[in-house]
Amino acid sequence: MTSFRIDGGTLIDRNDVRRFTFNGEALTGFGGDTVASGLLANGKQLVGRSFKYHRPRGILTAGAAEPNALLTIGRDGRRDPNTRATMAELFDGLEARSQNCWPNVNFDIGAANGLLGPLLGAGFYYKTFMWPAAFWEKVYEPLIRKAAGLGRASYDPDPGYYEKCWAHCDLLVIGAGPAGLAAALTAGRAGARVIIADEGAQLGGGLIAEGSPVGGKPADTVLADIIGELHALPNVEIKKRTTVFAAYDDQVFGAVERVQKHLPEHEINPHRAMERLWRIVARQVVLATGAEERPIVFGGNDRPGVMMAGAMRTYLNGYGVAPGKRVALFANNSQAYQTAMDLEARGIEVAAIIDPRTCPNIDYDGKARLIAGAMVRDTAGRKAIKSITVRHDDGRDEVIAVDALGVSGGYSPIVHLACHRVGKPVWSDAHVGFMPPENTDGMTPCGAVAGKAGIAACFADGGVAAVKALAELGVMGEAASLPGVEQSEEKVDPIQPIWHVASSKGKAFVDFQNDVAASDITLAMREGYDHVELAKRYTTNGMATDQGKTSNVNAIGILAENKGVSPGEIGTTTFRPFYTPVSFGALVGASKGMDFQPVRKSPLHGWAERNGAKFVETGLWYRSSWFPKDGETFWRDSVDREVNAVRTKVGICDVSTLGKIEIFGADAAEFLNRVYCNAFLKLPVGKARYGIMLREDGFVYDDGTTSCLGENHYFMTTTTALAAGVLTHLEFCAQVLWPELDVRLASATDQWAQMAIAGPKSRDVLSKIIDDDISNEAFPFLAAREVSMFGGRLKGRLFRISFSGELAFEIAVPAGYGESVADAIMAAGEEFGITPYGTEALGVMRIEKGHVTHAEINGTVTPADLGMGKMVSAKKDDFIGRVMNLREGLVDPDRPSLVGIKPKSPSDKFATGSHILNPGDDVSLANDQGYVTSMCHSPTLGHAIGLALVKNGPSRVGEEVTIWNGLAGKTVTGILCNPAFVDPENEKLHA
Amino acid sequence: MSSLVKCPHCGLRPREEFTIRGEVATPRPNAGADEAVWFDHVYLRDNPRGEHSEYWHHSGGCRRWLVLTRDTVTHETSDVVDASTLKLGEGA
Amino acid sequence: MRDYPLENRSAFPPLVAAGAGASINLAPVTGGFVIHVLGDAKSDEAALSTAIKTIAPDLGTDLRKSAPNQWFWVGDADVSSDRLAEIQAGLVNQFALADQTHGRVRMRLSGVSSRTVLAKGTMVDLSADVFAMGQSAMTQIGHIGAMITRIEDDSFELIVLRSFAGSLWDELHHMAAEFR
Repeated sequence: MTSFRIDGGTLIDRNDVRRFTFNGEALTGFGGDTVASGLLANGKQLVGRSFKYHRPRGILTAGAAEPNALLTIGRDGRRDPNTRATMAELFDGLEARSQNCWPNVNFDIGAANGLLGPLLGAGFYYKTFMWPAAFWEKVYEPLIRKAAGLGRASYDPDPGYYEKCWAHCDLLVIGAGPAGLAAALTAGRAGARVIIADEGAQLGGGLIAEGSPVGGKPADTVLADIIGELHALPNVEIKKRTTVFAAYDDQVFGAVERVQKHLPEHEINPHRAMERLWRIVARQVVLATGAEERPIVFGGNDRPGVMMAGAMRTYLNGYGVAPGKRVALFANNSQAYQTAMDLEARGIEVAAIIDPRTCPNIDYDGKARLIAGAMVRDTAGRKAIKSITVRHDDGRDEVIAVDALGVSGGYSPIVHLACHRVGKPVWSDAHVGFMPPENTDGMTPCGAVAGKAGIAACFADGGVAAVKALAELGVMGEAASLPGVEQSEEKVDPIQPIWHVASSKGKAFVDFQNDVAASDITLAMREGYDHVELAKRYTTNGMATDQGKTSNVNAIGILAENKGVSPGEIGTTTFRPFYTPVSFGALVGASKGMDFQPVRKSPLHGWAERNGAKFVETGLWYRSSWFPKDGETFWRDSVDREVNAVRTKVGICDVSTLGKIEIFGADAAEFLNRVYCNAFLKLPVGKARYGIMLREDGFVYDDGTTSCLGENHYFMTTTTALAAGVLTHLEFCAQVLWPELDVRLASATDQWAQMAIAGPKSRDVLSKIIDDDISNEAFPFLAAREVSMFGGRLKGRLFRISFSGELAFEIAVPAGYGESVADAIMAAGEEFGITPYGTEALGVMRIEKGHVTHAEINGTVTPADLGMGKMVSAKKDDFIGRVMNLREGLVDPDRPSLVGIKPKSPSDKFATGSHILNPGDDVSLANDQGYVTSMCHSPTLGHAIGLALVKNGPSRVGEEVTIWNGLAGKTVTGILCNPAFVDPENEKLHA
Repeated sequence: MSSLVKCPHCGLRPREEFTIRGEVATPRPNAGADEAVWFDHVYLRDNPRGEHSEYWHHSGGCRRWLVLTRDTVTHETSDVVDASTLKLGEGA
Repeated sequence: MRDYPLENRSAFPPLVAAGAGASINLAPVTGGFVIHVLGDAKSDEAALSTAIKTIAPDLGTDLRKSAPNQWFWVGDADVSSDRLAEIQAGLVNQFALADQTHGRVRMRLSGVSSRTVLAKGTMVDLSADVFAMGQSAMTQIGHIGAMITRIEDDSFELIVLRSFAGSLWDELHHMAAEFR
């Protein structure tokens, strides 16, 4: 194998030999190489196959825009598909593979698609796979997926750590080429907080590959001096390997930093992020993103060995890699001649320079033959270029043998970040490219993105841009004086646009990654898809992972040429984030696995764990749902036992997750009176009241109890699910609707460990630890007040409320003491057979008692639907939901209303969500009578019970109905009944 | 839409700290108002092209309700005030 | 049962205090008080400060503003519920006190990398020249609400709801791992 590595290379370290494999073949490169430069040094020009036609493809660029050289790098969980070889740094042990070829890159069966070319033209997706529709799932889609598609994601979890960060600066400099470096230096010297970010592993941009001296000094010395000074400035933060990929509103910029992707596995610090997603808040921005060299659309322009002229220069000067032995250049601008000079300086033969301009005014005194007024119309060679066919201005063809062709069709400013918000780029005939929009508020483009050419001109422009940006911040700055700046002069290179070589023979590609040829674009136009946005989607030009970085402007040019208008009239498609692909790992950050979302733990979590609880996630909370004992294998064994224990003895349940809100202020009572539909104005101190909150549309929002703990001091409890929602709602009422009321709200959910002690023996248990008298006379149903506990050692809040329907209390103690108090209650209750119970038993008991929860309060019910219509105050002038609750539809007696339901035969079961029908009726919407909202097995009654919302339900108690479960295809005969299955007279509650 | 919001109490904060409730509706009618007025207040919302005022709750910060005025075309936020000041300002 | 041993348990997992490192240290703050002070619309911090200096001179006036007319009053002494009631009686209605000693727990993150670690969670710019000593911010660290207070040059105190304390602790641990 021939080595293409020659002398020189400012970026590589020849003492640092790195071994890597490409499609299993062992190769070596150097530290500083990219995978692309490493492959080229080893003579590997063919790196992949194209998307549609499976044509052989080589490395086209030396940077972020690479459309062809997408490789899969790494293995197992660290496997990254679709990695641009031009951006991936070479590390020792790297494994790279080609994609989109089978069985291998050299012999690809799919290449036969090339013969089907005529059938795969623009819009073929729409035309070919139209009919019959049934074929899509079974035939077309699997076929397309197998043939097309890029790399495959790994099925293994990525072991790397990812994270997100915020950063702040006065000036964000995007791009560290000559313009960006000058801007950062200028602002850094002025004392501003500067962040300079560049996607490359090395700062320098165009300076890196500059073979000529700058202002009389070697380019690499100039670069080293600038970087040295930037490093020494404490107010300048340098972010290498960091792509600023999006400009969001309010000067927030998204960036991804590849922190450890360039390291071999044994050097990866597992505690450090692999990639870091940055959100940078910048007061001002200097956009120094440079310009992308444009390919030229000519026949066979996709053959391996065809490369951008600027990329050739980068490989040559930066990496010491020769593009070939005998090279030709095809360019319509003067910058490409620099490549010719550099090639010749390194002893590489330049066979010809083909320039379509008839009299190019250039500064070139090299040996190469200059063919003016000519174009390349074709290339030859199977897997690599062997020759080019040049069409002279007199119509004569000449074949020239070459093993590499450098191409340059001009420069497209990288305007993406200037256009992510609202701006559209502006066409410039002088620059033959789309320039940044004129109104880029807070962002100053400079250097090549602003149309400047040459190192010195970019230095000068960067300094000026920074001074302008600093002035916006009220900071005086002086443009950094850098080598060559004094002599620099503004000159625009006269470029002759060529959008398409008309005499092309064979396919002339516009979009390499999506295999869109010039003929596809003209076909799209003939078929009426000539608007730039339609042409894009019809041909898929610019829709690949490179988003048309090398293809969009040429496609626009072809559209313009064919319509006889300026490219400016065609305009661009919309620029949207991301500039280059961002890994899912970076976007997800640390939020994966157990860290997907935070976990909220009750202060009694440890107590529940010690008592063997099984937990259930409710929102972010972990709640104890049942407490299995030895020998219990089925959850209901435990739940039935827990229910029986509460109904006959006593149980303890953690209810700390209920929302708790302290309400203060002179108008607190008035406020409560307005947010609840029932009366609260006269709630006495020491009493709790059940309350229903409506939404303004008249439906029930939430329920709970509120206790009056003192003058102007209330304590509200909400359901666990709506704890945050209710607080937010109350804040809206207090701040927006009635700011004139003195009411102050404090979330107290986390302050208290709260437990329900329920069952006939609950008072006996609590009396052992509570100092105060809690007899029925001293502490009746709905009493609520502070109590002394443990001989005055602790204060708690005691509430005589019950969700289970039993004699019950809820005791709240400061959270830190929760576990001790729960342990004490367990010890005190031992003689009474106290049993911890969880949310499952709680749910069973509330259904047995006919208490509603959010299964019933589902956004469609009014208090009347829940049998609580009488609670809605008729006396109050106003409260949330008062007016809309009286709407015609909400007071219809036929509305589905709460009723109990049980199977006619006690052994029958039914499911929540089942619909209710009258016996014998067909299953139809018209016959629907309602549905089951909750059901459970009642251990107290020994059969299934449920709650349902049924038309006119309460007046139909005793009726036989059909319970229809359409999903399971089952019907059961049920009987409507009183929803309070247990203790309908409330005797237990008041015991 | 705004990435950063200048909370009048907390300063510049990211959008994630806020919960958006939607357009600032007509003022809450009194209980005796027509059903049509109530209907408008509860249900009808504009979706304008241009200036738009919304309730934003700084749920991840001071927990105050704010009224944010922004342009739905340019995404520019022209004003952020504490919602209570609007009600008090109109002397209701 | 009257003499059943009562223990005030930490919201943090056991044995977590071992976080000392060269550039970062995370430690829970144990003991002390956090009292949520809710003022009426006309209240101001100077009046509050003066009032508590008179009523409870031993408790300090470390007031961390959480919202308009609201503060977290923080100190290292232990304040009983009776003491709190006494203080409330002295403040009358202009300031209401809600004990949050158990509901909001404190931890300290210190060391030269503390800002870098917190920047992984919060958007608030904590750089020394922007975020002054003693300044507080109610914000979100990742998905978890927290109040950040700068207590020393490179040292921050975080106040977080008790139920989130374990999660926030774990997250800060991950974020700080690279500096240990």
